[in-house]
Amino acid sequence: MAREKDYGNPSLEAKLKDRYYYSDDTNRDFTKEVEKIGRTIAHMCYQCGTCTGSCPSAPRSSYRIRLFMRRAVLGLEEEALTDPDLWLCTTCYSCTDRCPRDIAPTDVIMAMRNLAARRDIVPRNFLKTVQAIYTTGHGVPNNDVNRAARVKLGMDAEPPTTCGFPEYIEGIKAIIDHYGLKDRADKILSEGE
Amino acid sequence: MAEKKEARIGVFVCHCGTNIAGSIDIEAVKEYARTLPNVVHADDYQYVCSTPGQTMIADAIKEHDLTGTVVAACSPRLHEPTFRMATKVGGLNPFRFEMANIREQNSWVHMHDREGATGKAKDAVRIAVAKASLLEDLIPKSVPVEHAAMVVGGGVAGMQAALDLGNAGIKTYLIERSPTIGGRMSQLDKTFPTLDCSQCILTPKMVDVGRNENIELMTYTEVEEVEGYIGNFEITLRKKARGVLTPEEAEARGIVGGGCNGCGDCVDVCPVIKGNEFEFEMAPRKAIYIYHPQVVPNLYTLDFNTCIKCGLCVEACGDKKAIDLEMVDELIKVKVGTAILATGYDLFPIENKTEWGYKKYENVITGLEFERLICASGPTGGHLVRPSDGETPKKVAFVLCAGSRDNTGVGKPYCSRFCCMYSLKHAHQIIEKIPGAQPYLLYMDIRSFGKMYEEFYYRIQDEGAKFIRGRVANILEDPVTKNLHVFTEDTLLQRPIDLEVDLVVLASAVQPTAGADAVRKLFGVSCSQDGWMLEAHPKLNPCGTTTAGVFLAGVCQGPKDIPDTVAQAEGAASAASIPIHRGEVELEPYFAQCIEEKCAGCGMCVNLCPYSALALVEKDGKKVMEVTEAKCKGCGTCGGFCPGGAIHMQHFTTPQIVAQIDAFLLGGEQ
Repeated sequence: MAREKDYGNPSLEAKLKDRYYYSDDTNRDFTKEVEKIGRTIAHMCYQCGTCTGSCPSAPRSSYRIRLFMRRAVLGLEEEALTDPDLWLCTTCYSCTDRCPRDIAPTDVIMAMRNLAARRDIVPRNFLKTVQAIYTTGHGVPNNDVNRAARVKLGMDAEPPTTCGFPEYIEGIKAIIDHYGLKDRADKILSEGE
Repeated sequence: MAEKKEARIGVFVCHCGTNIAGSIDIEAVKEYARTLPNVVHADDYQYVCSTPGQTMIADAIKEHDLTGTVVAACSPRLHEPTFRMATKVGGLNPFRFEMANIREQNSWVHMHDREGATGKAKDAVRIAVAKASLLEDLIPKSVPVEHAAMVVGGGVAGMQAALDLGNAGIKTYLIERSPTIGGRMSQLDKTFPTLDCSQCILTPKMVDVGRNENIELMTYTEVEEVEGYIGNFEITLRKKARGVLTPEEAEARGIVGGGCNGCGDCVDVCPVIKGNEFEFEMAPRKAIYIYHPQVVPNLYTLDFNTCIKCGLCVEACGDKKAIDLEMVDELIKVKVGTAILATGYDLFPIENKTEWGYKKYENVITGLEFERLICASGPTGGHLVRPSDGETPKKVAFVLCAGSRDNTGVGKPYCSRFCCMYSLKHAHQIIEKIPGAQPYLLYMDIRSFGKMYEEFYYRIQDEGAKFIRGRVANILEDPVTKNLHVFTEDTLLQRPIDLEVDLVVLASAVQPTAGADAVRKLFGVSCSQDGWMLEAHPKLNPCGTTTAGVFLAGVCQGPKDIPDTVAQAEGAASAASIPIHRGEVELEPYFAQCIEEKCAGCGMCVNLCPYSALALVEKDGKKVMEVTEAKCKGCGTCGGFCPGGAIHMQHFTTPQIVAQIDAFLLGGEQ
């Protein structure tokens, strides 16, 4: 655990924060848990950087998949689950395609998101997506711009999904309710306000 | 056979430090052994293989008048010879010894189950005692060794091995598949870390090989068939039709003063143009050709696959009459005592890793292609150029671990060992030859493990090469400029990189040569899971194989650089010369024997034998099977099959095996 310091000056303290990591920061069960959920051999990562080099998100953001792999290897649970970059993966699976150690880094990220969600650490936009799917059946619901474009292309304004067949939304709601996802999303969102 | 007497067995249980004692109750095993039938003595020791341990066995044989010994210790592959010797020192026939493996097959795998492991050790000892009680005296057979050796592969490993054998006074056949010796090393421009010109240090050796009176150099020749065993290998060679006669061959045909003198007049007139394999098809050759001017033997080769038989070369050759357009392959049989395999390596087909674009983008080349392009005798006279436009590249990226250390199933899981160092050398060469050139080495780890290698790394960094720690994720080509964008992460800076360069050099992984597997199987040599030939022991017998009399040299056994290759070649030559200089070898007496009164002469065993060791012969008016003992490996195929029970497998007799099974199944209660 980081040693406490007191300079009586918050901005200086933030600057001079203890950046060591200590052996008791690591949690071996975290590595195992990630591997169990992700069904991949995260502990075999040798940090070559092929994943970040393949990542379409990396050049445009602070997301570094290799760092999450490192956290998985070392069991740095707190650091992994509280880093907002965790949610910047687009799940394109380029890293998984190219990983020379045959690890699936994408699935490591998905496992970490699972574990973060158990602790109610989920970005608001992801929770709002849950709400959107619950009410419309779509993460990105149809809108007027889309409808106009579809008509212009000679298609029906509503696609043959829950947009065209709203009677099936009840089924989707039943699935989401089965896992209590909507209620949790509502709860976390309301607590955040 | 010695007079039969009651079996008296001594059992010795080894602690092997804590290797065995750590997970097996030695005392309990020893006490249990004392209760077994025929056991008159049981003891234990820290390291039974040590001098005091071996003395303990020898002394106990005399003191207790033992008829057989059992050592419960490691694998017989490790110490069976040791304990046989101790048994012999004690005055018994060495084959009166039986080993119980309680380490590799027990304590090491049941480390966390002391009770179970101890029980299993008791089983193993009981089974070994049952066999030891029935062991018989056996006399090893000596066979003479042919005073000749064969080396397969004429690269630097094969050349060195052949030179050592030849200089030791042994007639040596050096077999090379391609038209010249020299191998991969002759394709290199310079060698690391000394930056010696590769050809300059290799060609004198090639000439020495050609001149050595004990070496019979057979290029453009392949191994067709291998028969026999250590001391007496009968090897059939296929001398491929090369369409050109040596002066000796010409003289044998009555052409005085004829034969190829390497003048090359034939090349000028030949109308057929092909890619030169030696230059990775970056330079042309004719249908009649040599790879390069330094070839040994200095003899042209006619490529019958492309020759149109126009006859112009025959005309140009004139009175020498060296060219024979009707030549055919010839099979030659030679007899040798030992053989060394030195079949070398090929590059892994790096185009299989599609993300790097080899064979898709013109300016992505391999390390070996770089060697030819930077070499003064290469297709560009030593001017490194981009294949797409012939321009001199200024920014060059070297992709390390290209296909090595790859567990995806596409590449190779192992480290190819010399790519780090040759990439450093390549970086040096472009800095030296191209003013303002900037090499980038994209690496995971720089493995500079050899003598003066780390110092070489220091030197290249000092010369200005840039090292970026990150494995290349993918490469894309700019379709207009044909420049390449290399994508990776600078893992130390934690930033993704888009590196635009003029040329990319892939330090491709290596793999066994295309023909290596066939040669390996002909000589009965196994391969390890990575595909390289398997040595007898990774540490203590790296040159030997499990086939007696067959040895390994160079990269065919696993990736290694030139110093290691030459060292192993000298080791293999030394090992291969031992049986030849001794003049005879002892064969383990595990051969089958025919009990003639039981043999019905059906001959079914003859075809089953994988070593062609059996034959039907006429004896006293009756057909019986006969074993060529030197060929028999004691595999037991015939003995297990014989419907009449007429085949006696020495050291693995039916009563011995049945006793072992009974001892296991019946437990202690017999």
